[in-house]
This record gives sequence, C-alpha cells and structure tokens, in this order.
Amino acid sequence: MSEKEFAIIGKPQQKVDGIELVTGKARFSGDLRFTGMLHGYAVRAGVPAGKLKSVDTTEALKVEGVLDVITASGLMGPNLMGILPPFDQQILAVDQIRYAGESVAFVVAETNAAAKRASRLVVADIERWEPILTTDAALADDARKIHENGNITFTKKLIKGDVESGFADADLIIENDYETSFQEHAYIEPEAVCAVPSGDNRITIYASCQSPYHLRGHIAANLGLPHSKVKVVQAYTGGSFGGKDDVAAEIGILAATAAVKLERPVMVAHDRDESIIGSNLRHAMKMHYKTGLKKDGTIVARKAELLLDGGAYASESPFVVMKALIHAAGPYCIPNVMIESTAVYTNKTYSGAFRGFGVPQVTFASESQLQEAADSLGISALDIRMKNALKPGDANATNQVFNESVGIRQTIEAVAERTAGFDTSASEDADYLYGTGYASLIQGISNGAEGIDVVGASVQMSQDGSVVVGAGLTELGQGARTVFAQIAAEVLGVPLNTVTARLVDTDSVHDSGATVASRATTTGGMAVMKAAEEVKDSLLSMAALMFKTEAENIVLKEGFAVLVFDDSARIPIPDVATAAYWTGFPLMNLAFSRAPDADYDHDTHQGTIYNAYNYGTHAMRIKIEKSTGRVEVLNHIASHDVGKVLNPLGLTGQVEGGSLIGFGLAHMEKVEYRDGFIQNANLADYAVPTVMDRIPTEVISVEEANPNGPYGAKGIGEPPVAGAAAAFANAVAAATGIRFRKIPVTREDILTAIRGK
Amino acid sequence: MKISFSCNGETRDIEAGAEIRALDILREDLGLTGTKEGCGKGECGACTILLDGKPVCSCLLPAPKLEGCEVVTVEGLKGPDGGLHPIQQAFLDTGAVQCGFCTPGMILSTKALLDTNPAPTVKEIETGLSGNICRCTGYGKIIEAVQLSAQRMRNE
Amino acid sequence: MDYCKPRTVDEALSSFGDDSVYIAGGTDLGVLLAEMLISPVGMIDLCAIDDMKGISRSDEGLTIGACTLISDIAAADDIPDCLSLGAAAIGSPQIRNMATIGGNICNASPCGDTLTPLMVLDAEFELKGAGGRRALAAGDFFRGPKKTALEPGEILTAVRIPAASLEGSITGFRMTGKRNGQVISQVNMAVWAVIIDGKIENIRISAGSVAPVPLRLIRCEKMLQGKTAAEIMKDAFMKNLAAAAEVEITPISDVRAGEDYRRSVSGALLVDIVTDLVSEGVKDED
Ligand SMILES: Cc1cc2nc3c(=O)[nH]c(=O)nc-3n(C[C@H](O)[C@H](O)[C@H](O)COP(=O)(O)OP(=O)(O)OC[C@H]3O[C@@H](n4cnc5c(N)ncnc54)[C@H](O)[C@@H]3O)c2cc1C
Ligand code: FES
Ligand code: FES
Repeated sequence: MSEKEFAIIGKPQQKVDGIELVTGKARFSGDLRFTGMLHGYAVRAGVPAGKLKSVDTTEALKVEGVLDVITASGLMGPNLMGILPPFDQQILAVDQIRYAGESVAFVVAETNAAAKRASRLVVADIERWEPILTTDAALADDARKIHENGNITFTKKLIKGDVESGFADADLIIENDYETSFQEHAYIEPEAVCAVPSGDNRITIYASCQSPYHLRGHIAANLGLPHSKVKVVQAYTGGSFGGKDDVAAEIGILAATAAVKLERPVMVAHDRDESIIGSNLRHAMKMHYKTGLKKDGTIVARKAELLLDGGAYASESPFVVMKALIHAAGPYCIPNVMIESTAVYTNKTYSGAFRGFGVPQVTFASESQLQEAADSLGISALDIRMKNALKPGDANATNQVFNESVGIRQTIEAVAERTAGFDTSASEDADYLYGTGYASLIQGISNGAEGIDVVGASVQMSQDGSVVVGAGLTELGQGARTVFAQIAAEVLGVPLNTVTARLVDTDSVHDSGATVASRATTTGGMAVMKAAEEVKDSLLSMAALMFKTEAENIVLKEGFAVLVFDDSARIPIPDVATAAYWTGFPLMNLAFSRAPDADYDHDTHQGTIYNAYNYGTHAMRIKIEKSTGRVEVLNHIASHDVGKVLNPLGLTGQVEGGSLIGFGLAHMEKVEYRDGFIQNANLADYAVPTVMDRIPTEVISVEEANPNGPYGAKGIGEPPVAGAAAAFANAVAAATGIRFRKIPVTREDILTAIRGK
Repeated sequence: MKISFSCNGETRDIEAGAEIRALDILREDLGLTGTKEGCGKGECGACTILLDGKPVCSCLLPAPKLEGCEVVTVEGLKGPDGGLHPIQQAFLDTGAVQCGFCTPGMILSTKALLDTNPAPTVKEIETGLSGNICRCTGYGKIIEAVQLSAQRMRNE
Repeated sequence: MDYCKPRTVDEALSSFGDDSVYIAGGTDLGVLLAEMLISPVGMIDLCAIDDMKGISRSDEGLTIGACTLISDIAAADDIPDCLSLGAAAIGSPQIRNMATIGGNICNASPCGDTLTPLMVLDAEFELKGAGGRRALAAGDFFRGPKKTALEPGEILTAVRIPAASLEGSITGFRMTGKRNGQVISQVNMAVWAVIIDGKIENIRISAGSVAPVPLRLIRCEKMLQGKTAAEIMKDAFMKNLAAAAEVEITPISDVRAGEDYRRSVSGALLVDIVTDLVSEGVKDED
C-alpha cells in the first residue's frame, strides 16, 4: 500500500469545517436559539462532604422569571449515571454530598441571570462531615465510606514473568515515589447543551459533547424513555480532550428533564468556574516505582504501585486504572513486570478521561526512573532507551507480540539524528541553567481493555456526485471530520470539497461509543472506508455498464471514472452517479468497523489488548533563569510512529497542541485544593499556557504501517501529552541536578529547590 | 436606556441597562454569536471585539459603554473580494484552527495588531495575542497564520 | 441598572448615591458584577470626563488623569520607565485597552502593577469629594487589600508625579508570575534612583504582592543609599541586599505563590533591577 500514490491522503488538507469556524458562523451549543428557550443553572452543594437533609426552594421560586426549581425528587428516572455499570453518580444529590461541586437543585428561568440570581436563594440544609481529601485518608482502616462498596473504586494487576527473581538478577535497583497533580481540561468552550422537545413525542438534545450515545443512553434512562425517543445531535464542540462526557450527560439530563416538564427548550451553558469545579479532572496519581537493571542498562524487572485519586465518582476511573496499568512499563521489552493500579474515592471533583488517560502520569514516573538509572549507570539517555525499546516480535508488558508497526526504535533514531546538531550538555552561565531531557512513550490505540471497539459510518453519494459522510465519532477540533472526508474522497476518487462530513446525530448511525483513545482515525476511519468502498462498488458497476467493460478495468479518480488502459476515456462521476441512481444501484451505505477484540487474562492483564500502539520519543532542551526559576524551552522535538500520516497539517497540529498540554501538566497547571474546595477555578490562577508560554515543538513522523488502521494510520491525539510532560521533567533534572519526583514542577518549585541546594 | 452604536458598519439602536454586557447585546440582541464567551471575566479572549479599532473583552464591557462607538465582530470581516478576509484565509491555510472556539477572538486580535503594525516580530505577535487563550493548537500554527496574513496584506 | 456618563467631576459627584458605583474601564468591576459580588443600582461612568484623561507635563511634574488608559501609559515613552513597564505588565492587550490607572489605584489590589511604580515615584493622588479637594501621598492612600483612603463617593481625579521624581533619575520594574502571558504578579518590584558619579545619591524601592499594601523597602534603600557602583556590584553585597529584602517584606501564601517563594523572588528581583540600574547609571555618565 505504501507504494500507492494517493490523491488526498497524506497531503496537507485544510479543515473541511474550517470556513464556518473562521467566519464565526459555526453554531456551538451555546449559540443555538429556540423560540421560548429557557435557561437552567445548577445550585452546587458548596460543601465537600455531608448529609443533605433538605432543600428549600421557596424563595428561589419567587424570583421573577423563575419557572421551576428541580430537586432530586423531581427527576423522572433513577437519578444515576456513570461510565461503567453499576453507575454511582447522582445527577442531583439525594442524601449524601460527595464533593463541593455536587448539584443539589436545578433552577429553570426565562433568563440566565434570573436563574443565577434564584440559585442563590435555594437553601440546602447540609450536615457537614469531615471530608476525605487524600487517598491515604480514603484507604485508612476506619475511613468513612464515600460509597456503599467502600473507598476503592477499582483495582487491577498486571503480572508478567517473576518480578522478584528479576530483581534478584539486577545489578542496580532504583526505587522511588512519584506524584502528579489534578489537571483541568480548560477547553475554551465551557460545556453547554440545549434540550428541545420536538413535538413528536421525542426530545432532541444539541450538545457540546464527546459521546452522543452516552448522552442518549443516560438521558433516556433518567427520563424513563426508550432510547428511540431521544435524539442527541452533536453541536460544534469547542474542545473536549476527554472532558465533555460525564458532565455533558449530567447537564443533558437536567436540561432534558426540565424541557419535558415545562414543554419548552432549555439551555444549560456552564460558566468557567462550573466547568472546573463541576466536571472531571485528570487523575492525580501517586506512583511507587521500582526498576531493576543490568550494568549495561538492560531492564530486567519493574514493579509499580499506582494510586489514582478518583474523586467523588467512578467516572472513567476503572478504565484509567487499566490504561495506566498496561502502560506503566513503558515502550520497553521487560521480562518481569508487576503492576498494581488502584483508584480510590475522595471528596473532591471526580477524575475521569483526559487526553492521555493515565499514560502521561505513568510515563512521567517511568521515564524519570529510567533516566535516574541511566545517570547512575553512566549510559546516555538515548542509548538506554534504545537498548530496551520494543522490537517487532518482542512481547510487551501484556505479553502481546506485534510483528509489525513497532516504531519506537525509529523514533529514538530520529530524535538522535535531530539533536546531534545541537548542544545538549547540561551547563550553566551567570544567569541560566541549561539541560536536555528525553522521554519515550507508548500509547495504546483503540478501546483495548475497555471493551468492544465498533464504529458505524454512512457514506451517501447524490446524483450530482457530492458526498455526505456520517461517522459515529465526534469532531472535537482534532480534525476527525477532515480525516473522514479525506478517506471517503480518496476511495471515491472525488475532490475533497465535494465531500461533507457531518456532525454526529444518534439517529443516523450505529452507536459508536465514545470518541476516545485516539480511535477516531483508526476504527472510525476504517468504518468510513468500508462504507465508501460499497458506494465505490456501485459506481464501478455502473461505469462498467457505461464503458461496456468489466469493473476491474475502471478506476475512480479526479472526479471521473477512468479506463485503466486509456486515461482519456473518462466519465464524470456525477454522470455515473446519476446513471447508477436510475439503474437502481445503491448510493448510500452504512458500514460497521470492528477493531480486533481484546483477549486477555483479567487477573494478570496478559494477552491481546490494544490492536496498535503509537510510540514516541521526545527531547526537550530548556533554560532556567536562576533568579526566578522561570523556564524557557529552547527546543522540543516530538517524534511519533503514527503508522501513516493522513493529513500532515492536522497531525502536526495534534502533536503541537498535545505537547503544550503535557508541558502545562508538567510545569504550570495545578488545581489548588484547600479543605476540599478548588481555589483557582478560573483561567487566571489556573495557569493554562498562553501564547507567550508556548514551546517550539518540532514534529517528526515515523510511518510503520498499522494493518488495522486506514491506509496504515494509528491515532495521534493523546500520545504527545505524555512525551512532552516526561521530557520536561527530565530536562529540569538535567539542568538543575535535582530530581523532582512530583509534577508540576513550577517556577516556584524550581527556585525553592535550587536555593536549597 | 437607549444605546446607539455602529456594528460592522451598520447603525444599531438597542435598549439595555448597565447590567447587560456588550457581549450579550451582540449575541442575544444582534444574533452575532461569532463572539464567544469562554470565561466571562476577561481571562480567555474568546469574547474579543474591536471597539473603535482596539481589541477589548466584550464580557467586561457594560452595554452603555457602546454608545457612539464603532464595533467590529468576526462577522464584520471581509476580504477585498467580499470573501474571506486574508487573516481568516491564513488561519485556514496554516491549520491554525482546531476546535475554532478561540478563533474569532484570535482573528480580531490579529487584525488589531496588523492594523497598527503590519510587519510584527514574533515577540510582538505573542504580546498582541497574549489575551487569547487557545487550548487546542499549541499556538505554533497561529503564529504562522499571523505571519502569513501580514505578508499577504502587505503585498496586497 | 441605571447608568450615567457625566462630563465633569462635579456632575459625577452629584450623581453619586448610596447604591451607586463609579466605573472607569470596568475590568475589576466587571469581574465583581459577573461573580454577583456587588449589585449596585446605579453606575456612574467616569470615562467621559475629559479633565480626567491624558498625560500632561509642567514645571511641577507630570499629571496623569485617573481615566488614562493603561495601554496609553504602557506606550508612553516620556514617562518614567517603571510606570510604563508596570502598565505593560497588566493583563492582556484587551485588558490594557479598557483598564485605567485610576481603576488600578482605586481597586488597591496588593498585586496592582502600577502601584509600586507610583510608590517609588512619590506620586500624589488628587481626590475630590463632596467635602472638596484633597491630595494624598501614594503611601497614605493604600490601607489594605482592596482598601483605600477614599471616602464614599470620593473620586480620584489625577495622579501627580513631582518634578523631583523625574529629573536625573532612572527607574526599573520587574515582576514574576506563574506564566509569561496575561499574568498576575506573584511579586512586583519598582526602583527609582538618582545615580551621580557612579554613586547612588537617592533611591526608593517598593515591592508589591508581598504585604497587604505596596511596601517601601526602607532598609534596603538605606543599604544602597550613598553606595558606589563598585561597592554594590559585589556578590556579598548583593546577597545581603537580597536577604534584607526577604526579611523586610511580609508576604502570605496564597493560590498564586507561597510565602517563601515570594521572599526569594523579591530578593532576586531587587538584585536584578539594582544591577541593571547601576550599570545603566554608570554607562549614562560615560
Ligand atoms: C483578566 C484580567 C487580568 C488582569 N491583570 C492585571 C494585572 O496583571 N495587573 C494588575 O495590576 N491588574 C490586573 N487586572 C486588574 C485590572 O485590570 C486593573 O486593576 C485595572 O487597572 C482596573 O482599572 P479599571 O479602569 O478597569 O477599573 P474599574 O473596574 O472601572 O474600577 C475598579 C474600582 O475602582 C473604582 N474606581 C475606578 N476609577 C475610579 C476613580 N477615578 N475614582 C474613584 N474610584 C474609581 C471603581 O468604582 C471600582 O471599584 C486584571 C483584570 C483582569 C480582568
Ligand atoms: S469571555 Fe471575555 S475574556 Fe473570556
Ligand atoms: S482552536 Fe480550540 S481553543 Fe483554539
């Protein structure tokens, strides 16, 4: 396939949805307007833990413009949601308050301002309990149970070989604790949904969301409706990064409940502080790591205990537990591995999906420890990584063997080549410290252990030859619609601008699960490809009749059906499509793509889990101002094995954006808690990188084709986060000579440490 | 109170008190939802508009302050041929748009910058855009977009 | 909410009632309104009062109208550096295009970036209220976080910087924050100095975000007063100077920075500015 010339795949393509975005015409959920639309605003507990005794809505109901104040008793369903059954998250608090951002009532009013004003008059009588704020406190023997089943959300093990005998064999054993902090998604569009009764006994929810099907299921269940009565339409979504799933369901349920009760459209648009306090964060993790190595740098054993602070509800914790577990050993061939991964409940905002999904945290720990080992063994950063890097045919941590598409070594070589030119030694001058850090990473693509991975897609060609593609996975800014359109255009041989890839609508394609795990391009792309192939077959059959030849003698390209042996014999595709329509060939197809299933031992996590991995190596050279701790990134090289670059423009954008989120995680961003309350629920004190904080990411792609991806592609959405974060931590250690085992390492931390040295 | 101002070249008369923000006037009264709200507190720049040519946060601007002013929103940008403005085109060409929620504000900050400084340095671009947060792109392509549009606008 | 836009200070004063607020740029006020922390019934916009706008010079010094935009102050090249740098450190272009210096002063946030420059410039604030006019030194105006000497309804009309603070002096300003762009000061520091023949004849230092109000670092000033460049530019002296700054301030730990960091950084910023000024002062005379 690599020999084949593509017309559209692999070439830089503008976003197919770009024009509406640069002109401001795209309608995000909060931009929608419906006649008679009401506004909803939730009243938050404001107490991290306690018993909810009563909610008094009397005064709030008197506010002009207020139509209703809904409390738990006013909901129509089980008042439960979550990602993995049994669900544990209440939509409106019933009895127990588990975090300060918990909603206790929902005010519906003619205007947003009236709803907000009234929300301040709702009185929740809460008996305050001592909140459980650390994982240690949650695991204490006498700890109060945050949920009936205790404070352990989920725990799993990975066991490969015999880790103790591995350690017995080692020349060097390194053992340390590492820690990461909560991270906020901080997409610039706060969550918003609008529920509209459609007058046909159904309800339509327009949502800024990542998984319309999750919303449909939860909304239907909590309204006591069959799924078929609920339609969820994805609106333009202003970033998600994992964050617009649970919370979108929560506000979707509230909006839909009110819309059904009041028979009017209801909009819920979060304020920024609600978006931080009342929706999931990236798990803070504590990680105990132990690595055994031979003198030559070969890793012989690795053991790790991972403790994830999951906050008040399970959300995606079980899956993040597994993903962290599976990736804790890194992209290395280690014979003996033993990992234990556990998420616990605390009285804080719940943790869940966030770009990288547990991998950035373990990569930070793993790559820090490997670097510590390299330093004490006197081996260079890239040599120790190369020595241990997986090769085709090696068994990875889950004992899964890939015979192809294992490009880690190529990414290390690419970084070595690129950094050969610049000075990477640690050094110092009067005002600055300099250092370079490296990190390699592995990131599973597709749902893997999270369950079956299927996506539906439809491709429809009209008589004029224009095409509509609808896949079940969402556009979140990452360019999914562009990739889907590219694939359809490539298969059908039509120009990209004749293809429209639409936003997801749950009525029209098969439930495709969540747009997570970098799976849009892979499983989603495969579904589009399959759907398009069928339409292509119709076109070829029709063209064969028209040319009076066999279908195999025809190709579709440049908007024409062309005879293979006579390039000038061409019929415009619209003519073929029109003829196909009148002849009765189907021009629409619904296809279904299913990634190879996972098959593994659930006690040891040994077996086939992900159907592909993205591999990467990052290098980051930094300069630290000695007087203030201020850091400047001088170079950042990000090399990833992406299988196949489908759209270079989209791909570099993903790597650059993901890297800056990783840099934020490692250096700037920290959700500050005091007594169970987030102190910096805004974009001034929660320091998201601005343009003046950007890093000069240089992207290098390695293409080791993935047999399970369209044209050999693997996903690229998540992996850069881990690489940039871990490389930064190693760069700081190189520059300062001090090993920070907790991220973020802020200016403040750096200055404090170098002054203490 | 009655407020009269010009928006994208058209005179507008609206009725609003000081508790109403310019952002609400644009989005609710005039239906110009290209101006976004990302924080409501001046911290993200999604609500950026040009007020008498200068970028300001419409989320912090009480509606009466619009009186007598000239407002430009993203909907008011046009290219010489009536199509896309060169800045909009450059944002598309360089891949500077991902989710697009920051984009209208980013484009208006770019316009304000280039109107006063047609050949900005990278540092000047960074300062000019420092009030617009983008969580998706990592900013590299946005800088490229500004440079490309500056170049194209100079050559026009 | 009612809104009025008086043309004169007196008109503004007479419009003021119990539940009214003055608004200048609205960048602080807008946040309070958004958070529903205040709910005034009337808003009096000071920005149409021409007398309160602009920068002017006379023999007595510099007068800056309270409603002068921060962006104009940041761009002004004929005012002391510390003040334009302080103004340029505020928020973002959008914020600077709305915010006024009067608002920065009256908001009296400990981290306000023009406050330390105004302290070292010995600025005087012109106030006008129902009771008439008065003038207060910057050092007497700030009373605590968000607390000032303003009487209810009183208006800050202008800031005066005396000629003595302008002639023959050099100034510097530095700040640090959590990030580079659109950042709130964890610490900011301004220095004003007169250097003659390589010797510091006079110096004033102020640190912000390290106490409830912007502080003058009198002890550090004394250490530097009368010293020559040669005496100052020694590691040991600079170490002592930094240490003196660290004990002279009274910072707290909050969501923006820890107390210890504020101390370390204060010392470092002071050393940086003094180094720059002394080198510049010596160079100027060459
Ligand atoms: C996102 C963001 C970032 C910011 N970053 C910074 C920063 O980095 N550094 C910094 O110092 N500040 C910062 N600020 C705060 C603010 O922008 C400044 O304090 C600004 O100078 C306030 O001026 P204003 O004209 O907008 O004040 P307004 O909001 O109009 O007024 C502030 C207060 O002062 C009163 N007032 C205003 N003028 C007068 C007057 N002449 N007489 C009497 N009372 C008056 C008002 O009644 C009000 O109580 C930031 C604000 C935001 C929203
Ligand atoms: S919405 Fe105005 S700056 Fe964020
Ligand atoms: S493109 Fe999404 S925030 Fe900028």
